[in-house]
Amino acid sequence: MIRTDNTKIDVSDIQGFVLKGYNFPHARFLLLELLHCEDAQSFLLKLLPDITTGERWDKKPLTTLNIAFTQQGLVKLELPLATLLSFPLEFQQGMKARREILYDTGKNDPANWDAVWRDERVHVWLAVYAQGLPALEDTCAGILQIMEHTHGAKLLQAQDACSIYLNNQPTSYEHFGYRDGFGNPDFKGAERECVPGQGKLVKDGGWEALATGEFLLGYADEAGELPVAPIPHLLARNGTFMVYRKMHQNVAAFRNYLEEKGKLYSGGKEKLASKFVGRWRDGTPVELSPEHEDKSIVADDNRNTDFTYGNDLGGLRCPIGAHIRRANPRDAFGFNGQLINRRRIMRRGLPYGQYVPDGQPVNDQDERGIIFMALNASLFRQFEFVQQQWIEYGNDAHQGNDKDLLTGNHAGKSRFVVQGTADAKNPAFICAQLPNFVELRGGDYFFMPSLTALQMIASGTVDPR
Amino acid sequence: MNAITPMKPWKTPLLRLFFFVLGAIKPLQADLKNLSFIHFARWVIVGRNQFPLLSDKQPREELRYDYLIFFSNFNGTWNQYIDAFSAVLSRGLNLIWRWSEKFPGSTPVTPFKDYIGRVQFDTDYYYNCYPKAATNDVKAALRVQDALNDFAKTSQSLSPVEFENAYLEFLARVQPDLGSTGIAPVGT
Amino acid sequence: MANESGQVYGLTILSPIIEDERLDIDHTTQLRWYLSTLPRDNTSPFAKVSSTYLARLVVLDDVVFVGKPACEEHLKSRYLIFETNFDGDLDTYLRSMASEVGEFVDAVWKHCVGYPGAGNSDAFVAYMKKCQLQTTFFFADVNDRTVRDTLRALQTQSALTHFIERNQGKPPVEMQKLFGIFLDRLKSAPAPLPGGRADEKSVTEGRPHD
Repeated sequence: MIRTDNTKIDVSDIQGFVLKGYNFPHARFLLLELLHCEDAQSFLLKLLPDITTGERWDKKPLTTLNIAFTQQGLVKLELPLATLLSFPLEFQQGMKARREILYDTGKNDPANWDAVWRDERVHVWLAVYAQGLPALEDTCAGILQIMEHTHGAKLLQAQDACSIYLNNQPTSYEHFGYRDGFGNPDFKGAERECVPGQGKLVKDGGWEALATGEFLLGYADEAGELPVAPIPHLLARNGTFMVYRKMHQNVAAFRNYLEEKGKLYSGGKEKLASKFVGRWRDGTPVELSPEHEDKSIVADDNRNTDFTYGNDLGGLRCPIGAHIRRANPRDAFGFNGQLINRRRIMRRGLPYGQYVPDGQPVNDQDERGIIFMALNASLFRQFEFVQQQWIEYGNDAHQGNDKDLLTGNHAGKSRFVVQGTADAKNPAFICAQLPNFVELRGGDYFFMPSLTALQMIASGTVDPR
Repeated sequence: MNAITPMKPWKTPLLRLFFFVLGAIKPLQADLKNLSFIHFARWVIVGRNQFPLLSDKQPREELRYDYLIFFSNFNGTWNQYIDAFSAVLSRGLNLIWRWSEKFPGSTPVTPFKDYIGRVQFDTDYYYNCYPKAATNDVKAALRVQDALNDFAKTSQSLSPVEFENAYLEFLARVQPDLGSTGIAPVGT
Repeated sequence: MANESGQVYGLTILSPIIEDERLDIDHTTQLRWYLSTLPRDNTSPFAKVSSTYLARLVVLDDVVFVGKPACEEHLKSRYLIFETNFDGDLDTYLRSMASEVGEFVDAVWKHCVGYPGAGNSDAFVAYMKKCQLQTTFFFADVNDRTVRDTLRALQTQSALTHFIERNQGKPPVEMQKLFGIFLDRLKSAPAPLPGGRADEKSVTEGRPHD
């Protein structure tokens, strides 16, 4: 049963990036260093009128603009000390300092990151999304002009990202060949129908939107409390936190591994690929259709995320350690899903680098991967928890120390078990010697303020009372 | 984790009563098992006159309160542990700790965490016979051992065809329990 | 009996620590120093008392003041808490502590009031029982195996997973032979040592803000 909710949130105060996935095929992330406080403030004031909010569009704009700050950025903008110290600890430390917790070690260690992230000078993330490249270039040129004019900021890097085009159409596929973007959480007040499977489970087996406070500061979260938020209240309200991770994908390594193991696996390569993730490459959820893809399910938003694992605790349909099952266990841990509701994240990623179709030679030295971005009210309780406990570890899923096959930092150790039956046509199958299919190349934690808060920051009127 | 909380002595018998009333213990035991990250846990009541007095040179304690001491051995981080307690065990925990002074209730979670933080005390020495194994790993390993013992009885005396079938059944039986063991994530 | 769950016994010992003003370094501090130097891996004294699952030693300095309107009060002595979970019965365990690791036991409990020494195991057992607290509620997730069986099972699990993965897809005749060899090897493998290696830690003690 679909429920909608009457919670009203002020969409004109919240940045659009938080409330909707724009579904524009092109993006450019401008990573900026701020130079002097006053100049930076003028720069921000000039950008303010163009920041895209969550208001409904009559007509889709050609481009959008959104902004977020690292702790260092807020320091540079000379926010009062009491305010700076009131931000959650993990945000103050920044993602690089949290590397032990996140398993960003070995190949993912900051020593291997792009210089722009390694050197910790990123203060501002400016995101321009566009329907087409000319519009993107135009808008970015305009921003760079303002930057020069105000001397407010320096461009450290422009990271481009782009949907993968297949048959000349933008798609939501990513470089390993999987269709992405399903299952973003519904929360109260967001202006869309609660799609079955995206919210939280309720007693009668239906789905309900999650508490607003899981994704926006200043509102009650799933535990009935206000999430930890900086002071003053006006600075925090309608803002949120974002994690940005540039994840390089070793497409050649993945294709080779899948090819090799696909020959040994009884169900063949595509079925094995579906077992890794929990969805077939076209997006069909394995839990609903374990033997083959099913376009009718994928195409139906009321079906493509509506499933639970309660009848599949043995993993015979969707393996216990599959990627989507790890990232969102739904009811797999019992207690009617209650242990999951405070661990959801809102994803906004986009691929980067040139797409190479399957069958053509591809080089893992090339720049290619996904810009992973996730939004949550508490980095510590949501993103960091999922990353540390469910992706890089498996105890909650009863998979011991095994990591997520797709994104785990394997360091030559972990394995992935595809559960099977006693039938010789479908036996259990173990995938070992997992290479790191994904490598982290940098990123950080950002605060994405409301429009009100942005005004306060830009005019230097933040007062922690 | 170790925690000690004071109780007014007239409340202590009520706590003992509730522990032994089946209604309280059984669901709590079942939930603890289902949460599956606690190896061992115990609650010990030390009455105000029950502190051991072993010599006349030792001063006798003169206390107003009885004390409830809690010990547990669990997997996961402290925050995860208390979050889970608060989310799914709150009724059972309330029945145990409501008799302790100033207990705020196990929900909402932040005051509960503050209270636990205040009544905790540190361990000086800790020994674990299987440091790389979570309680889930232990349970899984025991199931695997049992399955192997069963299969080993006949495996070598079967014909190859029979062995093939028996091996597949054996695999299907042990497959959920093959996770690797190792060091757990660092506390946060 | 509330101290037991299945085969597992939950023992809680509360021993008053000697207060002696004449000492430069008091007993509590000496005890804490000693505990901080003890190894925690398979060279731990508890590894020799091999039926021990998990054990801890905690110095209780004082009771906690939880804030008004509760009253503030203090203990007159400090106490050593010994909390242990082991398989088997209490007397056997205590006696094996005295006989296997008597030196360690003396080094710890010599700081406690009325301690007779591990040399006389009857007196030692009596002393421990005098200090024993009755457990009100004891939970043991796994309570039907010995420590030795559990360690063996963990060894089996690891070895078996390795075997399965390495031999996937082999023809039945070969599999059966290899499996037989595997079973033999497993049976004659040396018993795994309790306590693991020095750099390992899995079950936490649950400190906040670790």
